[in-house]
Amino acid sequence: MSFIDENKKERESFVKKWAEYVRTHSDKDWSKQQNVIINSALRSAHMTREQFFKMKGETHYV
Amino acid sequence: MKFIDSEHIEINRELSDLDKFTIEFTNILKKYIDYVIISGYVAIVLGRARASEDVGIIIPRVDFSDFKKLYGNLKENGFYCLNAEEEEIVYSYLEENLAIRFAKLDTIIPNIELKWIKNDFDRIALKKTIDVTIKDKHICISNLELQIAFKEVILKSPKDLEDAQHLRSVAKEYLDFDLIQEYKENLHEFY
Repeated sequence: MSFIDENKKERESFVKKWAEYVRTHSDKDWSKQQNVIINSALRSAHMTREQFFKMKGETHYV
Repeated sequence: MKFIDSEHIEINRELSDLDKFTIEFTNILKKYIDYVIISGYVAIVLGRARASEDVGIIIPRVDFSDFKKLYGNLKENGFYCLNAEEEEIVYSYLEENLAIRFAKLDTIIPNIELKWIKNDFDRIALKKTIDVTIKDKHICISNLELQIAFKEVILKSPKDLEDAQHLRSVAKEYLDFDLIQEYKENLHEFY
């Protein structure tokens, strides 16, 4: 199995396991863990408006 | 997470920065117009372990006078449009079926990607919605069956396929799998 296929399989497995965790644990429990990912990603994101639109492939701005 | 019925979900989750941002924006938006949240944030609010830099929202077409009121209120509450400042220019993008983006002043991320309804699938998304109660707050998301079908048939990136898998798993006891299949077949024909 190639690295890409192996990585894809691992990711799929994690998505299923995490979804099962969400289903079987309290909202407070899973959301606390999820918020670590979300809040740290948002707080560490530094980008200019131009960089953001370039990343999105959008050109309609002035 | 409680799936009350096909139109109501209750989540007693801790609010993330993305949740707070989305709730603040939609609390203003809903004073002026119906709306529905689509795509990645639908999976995220239901627990998907990933972040997103934007939140997709569809609204019906609005005339310029109503848009000005909405835009004014957003600005009064510390939002700005990333695309342009002048309301005529911002509105012209919507008229061209282009998305416009709103963030809090002095920030780029997160932002709201706001667009007008443009086809029958958008109309279904706006009509068949789910009211999500997060503690005492409310947001309106698209029905899950359409989001799953769209991600599996049209978007198809690894991230989107994982979002669809997450939704299939967390809501497996409540989803209408025949409806997902029906949407998938219709989407194949449409796109």
